[in-house]
Amino acid sequence: MDFAPARGGQRSAPRTPQGLLPLKILVAGGFGVGKTTFVGSLSEIPPLSTEQEMTELSVGIDDAAAVPDKTTTTVAMDFGRITVDEQLILYLFGAPGQNRFWFMWDELARGAVGAVVLVDVRRVDDSFAAIDYFEDRRLPFAVALNQFPETPDFPMSSVRDALAIQPDTPLIRMDARDPRSSLDTLVLLVEHAIARSAS
Amino acid sequence: MTENGHYGWRKGDRVVPAYALTQGRTRTVGQNLPLEALVTATELAVQNLPTLQVERRAIVRMSMRPTSVVEIGAALHVPAGVARVLVSDLANAGFLTVHLPQSTDAAGGPSQEILGRLLDGLRSR
Repeated sequence: MDFAPARGGQRSAPRTPQGLLPLKILVAGGFGVGKTTFVGSLSEIPPLSTEQEMTELSVGIDDAAAVPDKTTTTVAMDFGRITVDEQLILYLFGAPGQNRFWFMWDELARGAVGAVVLVDVRRVDDSFAAIDYFEDRRLPFAVALNQFPETPDFPMSSVRDALAIQPDTPLIRMDARDPRSSLDTLVLLVEHAIARSAS
Repeated sequence: MTENGHYGWRKGDRVVPAYALTQGRTRTVGQNLPLEALVTATELAVQNLPTLQVERRAIVRMSMRPTSVVEIGAALHVPAGVARVLVSDLANAGFLTVHLPQSTDAAGGPSQEILGRLLDGLRSR
């Protein structure tokens, strides 16, 4: 096939790295536990929000003209990006925590490296839904205890008991505002995912 | 709107409903494109840039470096489903190359080799 040379003054498409591969990690947890902060502390782009459709819509041409798009029910979801190397690009998705948004999780979880479940130890109940979800689907996950200034200093063993997580599930005390701490959490999760895929 | 070098559109900038951009289609095409699917602009797209409709031109410009469906949706302030359709159309026209995740099986995550590279990449940061 012949390709005409780019016309003068126009940029040509940059060489695309071979073997480009997107990866994703979910960030779950209850409302206000720090999902957006966690994504923001790691992302190389300002954390963005996307709108995901609530239902499978089949809008006809006429309908689309008659009905403004604001009637489409959508839910906002935070995401961030880490360019791992020339080929691997990792996306972090802040999964909506409320039960009624779980329809989104199945799509998000498909093909994911794993999930970070953020926990506020003062409100562990808020994380049970996410933990149950990932255990049911056998998606590797790590539990991250986001430390707030007023967080009481419970022993890790009692937190593990309260969360009722498996002995091999990684548990880390961290600060979602601190990029290094958030990165350590991702490393812990990926180590766990590798161990799981080897077994 | 795209001439100022970024794509930070405000919702009020759009004069047609988002779904009108896709002729009302939301799920008929592109339904298998995951949010994280990456796209890159082709040489053909660069040559045809001036002929493209404004949203499609913005997508091609963004895709001069690897960009995901979800980033495109956010930049254009359209729902992810609309971004999927726009990306699918451009890919079908030969303007974008789509780079899919390795595995989209129900339980299948990335291979151990890929996970190892991810770990190395994260540790070296």
